[in-house]
Amino acid sequence: MNENAQTESATGTASATGNGSAPIGQAPLFKPPREGFLELRGTVSRGQTIILGFLGVIALFLIWEVAHYLTPDYQQKFVPSVGQVTSKVFFLFAEKGYIADVAKSVYRIYLSFFVACLVAIPLGILMGSFIKMRALINPTVGGLRYLPAASFVPLLLVYFGPTDFAKMALLFLGCVFFLVALILDNIEAVPRALIESAQTMGAGRLHIIFRVTFRAAAPQILDSMRNMIAVSWTYLVIAEIVAATDGIGAVMMRGARFLHVDVIMGGILTIGVLGVLTDITFRVAAHFLFPHTHARR
Amino acid sequence: MGIFGSNFNAAHHAALEVAQKEGKFPLSVNRVTKEYLNGERVAVDDMSFDIKEHEVTAMIGPSGCGKTTVLRLMAGLEFPTRGNVESFGMPIKGPGPERGLVFQAYTSFPWLTVIENVQHGVAIQGFSKAEQRDRAEHYLKLVHLDDFANAYPDELSGGMKQRVAIARALAQDPQILLLDEPFGALDAQVTWEMEEMVVEICENTNKTIVLVTHDIQEAVYLADRIIFFTRQPGKIKEDMAMEFKQGQRFKRKEDLLSEPGYVEMEKRLYTMMREEIQGRIS
Ligand SMILES: Nc1ncnc2c1ncn2[C@@H]1O[C@H](COP(=O)(O)OP(=O)(O)OP(=O)(O)O)[C@@H](O)[C@H]1O
Ligand SMILES: [Mg+2]
Repeated sequence: MNENAQTESATGTASATGNGSAPIGQAPLFKPPREGFLELRGTVSRGQTIILGFLGVIALFLIWEVAHYLTPDYQQKFVPSVGQVTSKVFFLFAEKGYIADVAKSVYRIYLSFFVACLVAIPLGILMGSFIKMRALINPTVGGLRYLPAASFVPLLLVYFGPTDFAKMALLFLGCVFFLVALILDNIEAVPRALIESAQTMGAGRLHIIFRVTFRAAAPQILDSMRNMIAVSWTYLVIAEIVAATDGIGAVMMRGARFLHVDVIMGGILTIGVLGVLTDITFRVAAHFLFPHTHARR
Repeated sequence: MGIFGSNFNAAHHAALEVAQKEGKFPLSVNRVTKEYLNGERVAVDDMSFDIKEHEVTAMIGPSGCGKTTVLRLMAGLEFPTRGNVESFGMPIKGPGPERGLVFQAYTSFPWLTVIENVQHGVAIQGFSKAEQRDRAEHYLKLVHLDDFANAYPDELSGGMKQRVAIARALAQDPQILLLDEPFGALDAQVTWEMEEMVVEICENTNKTIVLVTHDIQEAVYLADRIIFFTRQPGKIKEDMAMEFKQGQRFKRKEDLLSEPGYVEMEKRLYTMMREEIQGRIS
C-alpha cells in the first residue's frame, strides 16, 4: 500500500500515506542521503576499511613496480621489483635462517621497550601525581629528549662493546625520554574532578594514584606506548649496525656490503610488516583491556 | 582497610561524637573570604553562618555568586583566603568521607560500570563485598537505575549520569551531604522524583544536607532554611528560616502548594532574585 512512498524520494524523507486510513505495518526504511567519498567525518564500514587499506598497499607496490620498469636495464638490480624482493625474503627464510634474525630483532625491541616502560610509567606517575617531583625531575628528563639517540652509538660501543646489551641500550635510550613525556601528559590530562570526587569518598593518596589517576589514564598510556614502540622499530637498524652480528639490521648491512639491494629492501619490508603487526597487537589489547572506551550508545 | 583505605579513622569518629554531644555545628563558616587570581577576583566576601544538624539548608543566588565555592570550602577541596570553616568545632583540613559531595558536573568513573561506581565509595570505607553489593543495589533502585547496573557511564544520558553520582554519594552514607545543583541536568519529572527522594532520605536518615540550587521552587520545597547570596562578590543577602512549613516535610511536592505562606515565600524569593539580576544589567 505505501511501497511507492519510498521510491519517489531517494534522498528526501519518506512521505506519509496521506489518505487518512490507519497505517499498515511499519513505515518504510529511511534512506539517508548518499555519502560521498570525501564526506566530512563520514562513516566507514569494516569491509571498506579493509579494502581501502589494501588499496593503499597495492598503490605503493604499483609505484614501486613502475619505478622498477622505468629504471634502465643495466641499473635495474638497484631497483628490484616487488616480486624479486618478496621472493628474496622467502629465500632468506628458507635457506639463510632469517627467522633467527627476525626473532632476535623482535626480542631486542620488546625487551628494551619493556624496560623503557618499567622506567617511564613509574616516572610519569610520580611526576604527574606530585608537582614537586615534576619540578625536580622533568627539566632533566625533558632535556634529554633533545639528544639524538644515534649519537650514543660510539659511547655505547666503548662501554659495552658489540654486545646485545649495547644494542638494547640504544633502543631503550631512543624511546624512554619521549615515553616519560607522553605518559606525564596522559596522567596530567585526567580531569581534576575525578580525583576530587575520590577524595570526598575518603580515598587515600595511594588509592587515588593507582586506582583513579592511573586507571583513568591507562587507555591513553597504552596508546602512547603503541606510538613509541613504532619509534623503537625505526631505531632497530641503527642499533644493529653496531658491529653487525645478527638481527634484521645485520642482514641488511651484509646485503649492503655486496650491493644486494633486494636483501636491503627485504629487510625494510620485514620491519614494516612487523611494525604493523605490533600496532595491531596493541590495538587488540586495548580493545580487551578497556571495554569502556568503545562502549558507546 | 590497608593502605588503600580511608584516612577516616576511629579517633576522628570518637572526636566527632564528643563534638556532637557538645552541640557543635556540623559546619560553621566563620568570616570566610575566598579570593582567586591573587585577589583580583573575590568569590566570597566575609561570610559567616552555621549549618544546623539534621537540617536541609539551601544556598541560592545568581550564577557566579560563589555557591560552588562555599560548597568546595565545606568539602575541604579548597581553603579560604581569610577566616575558617569548621566541622563540629574542628577546622577542616581536607576532604573526608563524612562530607559527601555531589558535583555540578558528571564525575562518574568511566572505566567502571554503574554499579561498580556506586560500590566504589562503599569499598573505600572498607565494607565487605556483600555489604557493598547490597548498598549499591539499594541506592541504584532508589534512583531508578537498577536496569542500567552493568552499563558504562558513557552509555547513559546526562540525567542518568547525575543519578549515578547521587547514588554514589548516598551509598557512601556521609553525615553531611553536600549537593551542588544535583538535579540541574535532569528533566522536570525526574527532578521532581529526586526531590521527593531527598525528603524521604531526610525522614529516614537524619542527614545534614547543604543544597546548592538556582531553582527557587526546589529550594522552598526541600529546605528548612534558605541562604540567599548576592551576586559577585558573594555575601549573604538574606538568611531565611522556612517558618511557614512549621517543621513539616512534605512527601508530595503538590501538598506544599496549599500551605499558607508558601506563595508569599516564593514571591519574596523571586523579587530578591530579580533585584540581583537587575543589579547586573544596570
Ligand atoms: N578556580 C577559579 N579561578 C578563578 N576564579 C574562580 C575559580 N573558581 C571560581 N571562580 C570565580 O568565583 C566566582 C564564583 O564561582 P562559583 O563557581 O562559586 O559560582 P556559582 O555560584 O557556583 O555559579 P553557578 O550557579 O553558575 O554554578 C565566579 O566569578 C568564578 O569566576
Ligand atoms: Mg556552581
